[in-house]
Amino acid sequence: MHIPDGYLSPPWWIGLYIVTIVYGIVAWRKVRNIIDSETVMAVAVLAAGIFVAMMFNWPIPGGTSLHFVGGALAGILLGPWLAFFVYAMVLGTQAIVFHDGGITTLGANIFNMGIVDVWVGYAIYKLVTRAMGNTRKARLLGAFLGGWLGLAVAGTVAGVEIGLSPSFPYAVEITVPAMAFWHTALGVIEGVITALIVDYLYQHNSPLVQLAERLQALQPATAGPIAH
Amino acid sequence: MAVSGAQRAGLLEKYRGAIIALSVLIIISPIFGIILAEKVNYHEPIDVMAEKLHLHELDIYSTPFDNYQVPGLPPTIGYIIAGFIGIAVILGIGYLAARRMAGA
Repeated sequence: MHIPDGYLSPPWWIGLYIVTIVYGIVAWRKVRNIIDSETVMAVAVLAAGIFVAMMFNWPIPGGTSLHFVGGALAGILLGPWLAFFVYAMVLGTQAIVFHDGGITTLGANIFNMGIVDVWVGYAIYKLVTRAMGNTRKARLLGAFLGGWLGLAVAGTVAGVEIGLSPSFPYAVEITVPAMAFWHTALGVIEGVITALIVDYLYQHNSPLVQLAERLQALQPATAGPIAH
Repeated sequence: MAVSGAQRAGLLEKYRGAIIALSVLIIISPIFGIILAEKVNYHEPIDVMAEKLHLHELDIYSTPFDNYQVPGLPPTIGYIIAGFIGIAVILGIGYLAARRMAGA
């Protein structure tokens, strides 16, 4: 899912850098009055967790596979605005230290995983838990659907970006079906992992859940819906 | 407000269990990231698409730890060390930012 250098035309990667930076400024304004040192540390710990989870490639026979991305997980736990900073840390470290994902495409990668995946996963989780109540069953279903569909949409958006790059005319007819199909199919695994992690953290009253509850009390629109 | 030593220690102490768990995961990560990935010829949907479009990655920069490897070390060991470097960078940035915020 990490788009390397050379896959996006300059108008696309420059445009997505600008969108991502502007979004980052908005995200900072949304959270700056409610975060403290503990919140910052929680963002870093979740970022470290997602970084490690991304090192586990899913060994599917045939070879076309993925690794955990975790956008929905971050959105569910910390809310969409703080989740942006999780991905800025993860993807920035991966690109700068490990050359995983391009440097020109870093803005696009943060956009896809730290904004699109996060928001889709967060919104679906919230819809499910509002409709079914804050029960364990609702959290499991919401996290599963959020993780699955968040990845499916983010992968499809990446396909649109590459396919509409002027360097590859008419490629969108190839990129979008390919990316949408595989990310929707493999997203089921992302959904299962997201549901299991959310359930585990909630059942064990993790410090991340405690933080979410505190943020929820301070500003309901900022924190993840895990806390009620 | 100055940040106390206890506050500094407390920033990471709360997550000691999580950091130990992440360390264990990093140690076993080459099973999935290197060994099984090679066995199944791991490639991502974006690679499938790139092959169809004949897209090639532009090599415009490199890092000492490209592809989660450490020069001179076997891939599995390099992968483990890269994992620890990664979480050290992320937690280090987070810790410094948190300390700065606590001291602000």
